Amino acid sequence: MALPLLSVELRGEQDIVLARQRARQIAAHLGLDSQDQTRLATAVSELARNAWQYAGGGRVEYGLHGHDSLLTVTVSDRGPGIPHLGLVLDGRYDSPTGMGVGIVGSRRLVDQFEVDTEPGRGTRIVMGKRLPRLESGAVPAIAELAHALAATAPDGASTELREQNRELLNTLSALQARQLEIERLNGELAETNRGVLALYGELDEKAAELARASELKSQFLSDMSHELRTPLHSIINLTRLLLERLDGPLTPEQQRQVALIRQSATGLSQLVNDLLDLARIEAGKTTLRASVFELAEVCATLRGVFRPLVAGDAVSLVFAEPPRLPVFHTDEGRLSQILRNLISNALKFTAAGEVVVSAAPERDGTVRISVRDTGIGIAAGDQERIFEPYVQLDNPLQRNATGTGLGLPLSRRLATLLGGTLTVTSTPGEGSCFTLTIPPLLPGLPASDARLELEHA
Amino acid sequence: MERIPILKMGDFLLVTIQVDMHDRLAMTLQDDLTERISRTGAHGVLIDISSLEIVDSFIGRMLANIAGMARVLDAATVVVGMQPAVAITLVELGLELPGVRTALDVDKGMRVLRHALGRPTPQEADAGAEG
Repeated sequence: MALPLLSVELRGEQDIVLARQRARQIAAHLGLDSQDQTRLATAVSELARNAWQYAGGGRVEYGLHGHDSLLTVTVSDRGPGIPHLGLVLDGRYDSPTGMGVGIVGSRRLVDQFEVDTEPGRGTRIVMGKRLPRLESGAVPAIAELAHALAATAPDGASTELREQNRELLNTLSALQARQLEIERLNGELAETNRGVLALYGELDEKAAELARASELKSQFLSDMSHELRTPLHSIINLTRLLLERLDGPLTPEQQRQVALIRQSATGLSQLVNDLLDLARIEAGKTTLRASVFELAEVCATLRGVFRPLVAGDAVSLVFAEPPRLPVFHTDEGRLSQILRNLISNALKFTAAGEVVVSAAPERDGTVRISVRDTGIGIAAGDQERIFEPYVQLDNPLQRNATGTGLGLPLSRRLATLLGGTLTVTSTPGEGSCFTLTIPPLLPGLPASDARLELEHA
Repeated sequence: MERIPILKMGDFLLVTIQVDMHDRLAMTLQDDLTERISRTGAHGVLIDISSLEIVDSFIGRMLANIAGMARVLDAATVVVGMQPAVAITLVELGLELPGVRTALDVDKGMRVLRHALGRPTPQEADAGAEG
């Protein structure tokens, strides 16, 4: 009755090595001397190779016959069988592949040797090796041996596996370290993110504060302008009363002084008006009143306004005869305000020559109105700056002239409100040309309304 | 890929087999060794099998093949350090290792090679002068 110890499947070349190492191990455990260990291992190696070579695989089983102290090794396969067994066993078979010693040699190395082969069915060889002396009560020890064999991994495949396992573990720990690093970085990123969000919040607050401040400023300007305007009107009206001698005669000196007061008050009033306008535009509180009119009417009014200012001067104000222009339906007051500013500026900065106001229809339906002077001109670098509030250029004429520095910025903003643009071209020393381009129809007004009102007019 | 290292010592190549070789590894060694002989022009090969506990017919045949190929490539081969149990088993197995010269250890193997190449060691030269 055989006691099975272990079996090895022959699935590859490596398993031949495993099979012979197992044979050696078991033989050593069972007390065979080193010569017999080598003999048995060599024999197992031969037979296992045969099984692998001729049958493409097989099985090696190690067992123990307790009563006659015999170690058996069974090598079986399901190959084609051994065709010339008789010749082989007689040692007369000439193997074309091996040394021709496998089976015969193995038989010489062991104490028992049985071959059972059937063509097409497979081969089964049982080898027996007598053990020196198995002491009674050794069976539990043999069971231990089986466990020990199962536990101790022989060289070869499982060593390889262990090695790979260790490498895998190393890789895993490296991965883990990287994971930790990533988590740390993530944490840092999240922190940074929170910081950024907080900063955003602050920025939003600041922006809201700024908007509020800007609104307050506009509100303040508009309020203050109202407050300032009332006393100024009083001053202007009172000086007018004085100058018209309604309260009695004035000496020439008094007359001169009152006239100066009046002039200053008027200037101040103009400044306040401009400020108020600017503040209103910035606060988005400007209201436009559209009406139907012709540019020629506006020009006629302007001519009337400026005639006293240019009388007897070296500068002439010329309104060019306009070609046929469309009828305007926009805010006449604002348009007139822009032109007044431009003409007044032109006159201010022109010592001699002329100021020409002309108009022409553009191809896209807009109207271009130019105010050209032969004055001091504006340097290229300053041509945009003059449209910023409170900017006054330093030049001799400027110093003489009174002005708020608000006229051009206000004009440009008004032009934008009317849906147009205000630009300047200039050559220092030769003159400037301010060009206002506006649509005749105020944006936002339905076209049909304009026609209707025209018909009524 | 697993390989058996081949060391060059002067004119000789030294191969120390320290693992239980499976068949493909043995074939690889055979190829590597012949390639090294032809590349280095070595005139002797020492194969140390003192660590081998089993030499079966396949490994025996490989050793015989190496010796034969080396001879064709003008190099002598000496297998050294075979364990007694292995030697006995080989004989019982019926393997004679034809054409393979053997020596007990690397030192003696070296001497065998020098002798074979007609280059006696200094000691032997001295001994010859005395005798």
